[in-house]
Amino acid sequence: MRPSWMLRLLAALGLLVLLAPGALVLVVSFSAGDFLTFPPPGFSLRWYAALFSHPGLMAALGTSAILAALVAALALLLGAPAAYAIARLDFPGRDVLATLLMAPLLLPTLVLGLGLLLVLQPLGLVATWPGLMLGHSLVAIPFAVRIMTTAFAAVPKELEAAAWTLGATPLRAALRITLPNAAPGAIAAGVLTFLVSFDETVISLFLVGPRLTTLPVEMFRYAERTTDPLIAALAMSLIAFALLMVAVVERLMGFTRAMGRD
Amino acid sequence: MSEAAPHLRLERLSRHYAGAPAPAVDAISLDLPRGALLALLGPSGCGKTTTLRMIAGLERPDGGRILVGGQDVTALPPHRRQMGVVFQSYALFPHMTAAGNTAFGLEMRGLGRAERARRARAALEMVGLGALAGRRPRALSGGQQQRVALARALAIEPELLLLDEPLSALDAKLREGVRDEIRALQQRLGTTTVFVTHDQTEALAMADLVAVMNAGRVEQLAAPEEVFERPATRFVATFVGRAARLQGVLEPGGVLRCGGLALRSATDLAPGPAEAYLRPHRVRLLAPAEAPPPGFDNLLDATLARRVYTGEVIALETETAAGPVMAELHAGADEAWRGLAPGAPLRLAFRPADLAVFPAP
Amino acid sequence: MIGWLLAAPALAVLALAFVWPMAGLFRISLNRTTETGAMETALTTESYAKLLGDDFIRELVWNTLLLAGSSAAIAVALALPVALMVRAASPRWRGPLALMAIAPLLVSGTARLIGWMAILGDNGLINAVLMGLGLRDTPYPLINNWTGVRIGLVESLMPYAVLVLIAGLGRLDPRLEEAAATLGAGRVRTFLRVTLPLAAPALLAAWLLALVLGISAFITPRLMGGGRVFVLATEIYDLALEYVDWPAASALAMLLLGGLVLLMLLRGALARLGGRRA
Repeated sequence: MRPSWMLRLLAALGLLVLLAPGALVLVVSFSAGDFLTFPPPGFSLRWYAALFSHPGLMAALGTSAILAALVAALALLLGAPAAYAIARLDFPGRDVLATLLMAPLLLPTLVLGLGLLLVLQPLGLVATWPGLMLGHSLVAIPFAVRIMTTAFAAVPKELEAAAWTLGATPLRAALRITLPNAAPGAIAAGVLTFLVSFDETVISLFLVGPRLTTLPVEMFRYAERTTDPLIAALAMSLIAFALLMVAVVERLMGFTRAMGRD
Repeated sequence: MSEAAPHLRLERLSRHYAGAPAPAVDAISLDLPRGALLALLGPSGCGKTTTLRMIAGLERPDGGRILVGGQDVTALPPHRRQMGVVFQSYALFPHMTAAGNTAFGLEMRGLGRAERARRARAALEMVGLGALAGRRPRALSGGQQQRVALARALAIEPELLLLDEPLSALDAKLREGVRDEIRALQQRLGTTTVFVTHDQTEALAMADLVAVMNAGRVEQLAAPEEVFERPATRFVATFVGRAARLQGVLEPGGVLRCGGLALRSATDLAPGPAEAYLRPHRVRLLAPAEAPPPGFDNLLDATLARRVYTGEVIALETETAAGPVMAELHAGADEAWRGLAPGAPLRLAFRPADLAVFPAP
Repeated sequence: MIGWLLAAPALAVLALAFVWPMAGLFRISLNRTTETGAMETALTTESYAKLLGDDFIRELVWNTLLLAGSSAAIAVALALPVALMVRAASPRWRGPLALMAIAPLLVSGTARLIGWMAILGDNGLINAVLMGLGLRDTPYPLINNWTGVRIGLVESLMPYAVLVLIAGLGRLDPRLEEAAATLGAGRVRTFLRVTLPLAAPALLAAWLLALVLGISAFITPRLMGGGRVFVLATEIYDLALEYVDWPAASALAMLLLGGLVLLMLLRGALARLGGRRA
């Protein structure tokens, strides 16, 4: 049935709510004024210039980029075999394993972050690379496992069976047949996991310190203190980066499918 | 190994899926001579694909043995069985070309690059696809994909060729041609082959032996003509081809008493309630006052109930004192016959041996 | 067995990052905070008793539930037409529509809230329009209060609701509605009598997920509330990092966790019920 004009209107309203903040950030980030005013008194690139010469935020950006790359690599490396097992193998307790690996995603990051702070602080691991990596792995690994399970499951089982009948051992069939066909999904998982770690705010809030801090934390703290077009320029840069990553994932495996639950 | 030894032997092969009320495959035994083509024919869920997958090693039997050339392979994993399998979905590797797919099995056997390429090319040429060796599966039509799958399975010079409904994904028009090609290739190479299908025409046209399966069991294992003309069980009589069912009581001497008529049969079943199946192509229509040909000892008076034109034949459904009986006319038959209208009186004749008699269920 | 072996490295890291901190959280919630504010190792439920007897905390619980429940309901109501549209759209438009609705999930939450500040602030879009039209002389306060938090929360919960609804509605055969139409039902009646009842389990699932996420939301209440809106999440954060009262923060986190686990069990039970009926 063709959607009615009523449905179209309401759906447009819903999408408007979702897209409005991004659109406003875009406009305000090019403001020439000193405050987050709409409409801006004029347009300029001055706040982007200010952003890219802000030493604190740029240092945090570097940290976040390196951290996200490390975390994504770790999550893929550890998550891929687990995802393969869940998607492909038949063994006792498979559903239990899948649930265990997803469990951290069910709990509020605030509680997870607090827990990590409580156990890492006495060991002096707060505001250190290992501490932050551990904290981010907590959300990155389940996320990577979930997407890669979908990616592996999308490769027909028959392909592996065909490889066996042609003389490939199970390991060779997995490496030569399933892995190459799941590769776009694995790359998509890597990109999304990078983004998840790069944007992670709440757990990081508990685990950063003056020695080592991440971009989302610094952005949050900045926004708590003051709101000027500089923060909008930062927000716009992050939105643009995220949309670029989403486009990459859409091309690789379909974004909706990658994010889909069960 | 003696010439008479079966190439493939299944001994009480069974598979019972956990939670299923009945076994999917129930103690199947059969022998297949070297070079023969066996069709596993049956409705969906009869266990034919499970049987094939057990032979390939993709499914683990719960009981019984699989012997190939006298060797017990039951415990061997699929990659050590040397079976060429053509899957229903073809299962071509999407990231490899036709040549890459065909060479994969050779690579797994450790053959050198040049030898692999040569043999893959030869296999593709054998199925008439030499020119498309560099194409990915996505860039091939369904029929071409099917041939690549066949070439890939044959390239490893398999002990057995296993085909799981290989024609079901093809257009009806293509199917007949591919069917005959597969059969011709199989006979030329002399590869012992097992073929799963639910299509009786396919099974009858291609196979040396047909195993009609139902509910996990083999109902009949015989040559195609034998299966069609002399069904061993009630299931075979109804599943393969069409047949009219006549219910009655069997009397000594093979006489079936049925609706006041006494029909002669060639059965040696013990007397008692029985039912008989009669195929339409066995029923002879007699012109008024025409004498039945010699041997056509059963004569029936009938009334035409319905006439269905199906192109090559005209199916006639008639009513007799024994119950409904089907007959058929070749579409090229005389005008006089073709003009029959419902209600017309008919005389039917058939031989005693044309009745397949079974005890009543 | 090989399955568990393959997953062992991932499980080990998660155990380190998850089980250990959760155990630590529970253990510390049983410690005592002395008069001076220092933490003393103990095995006491004092912190829990203090929290449960505190009127401020009880008000926080009520405020949190009200905020999360209402935001989740509005989010689901706004997400339903979007999901229905995704389902009704031609294949060409289905992907882009779903993408637009779900992509915000991966855009930094803080960045989106800055957009809302530009919309809802005293110098923002809405007040510019209101004052430009002469409808108001002074800015209407839409931010640094519950209204602002609720709007921000609705938007952040919507993509999740859309995702659950798309999955739930995807299982409904669109021919059911066509059948209703051929039987003479108009669009509104088709929606009320066929679509809505069939979508009810998905709507409930979406609301419960949004509720759980809304209860534990921290960034939105903090930034949109401008430090003037207090919910359980902000309180846990303040107890842990501002007052450094770890036992109290842990105890409150455990209570929050308990409540969320109850909600998730309810969600699971409802999902199983829905599954059996389908």
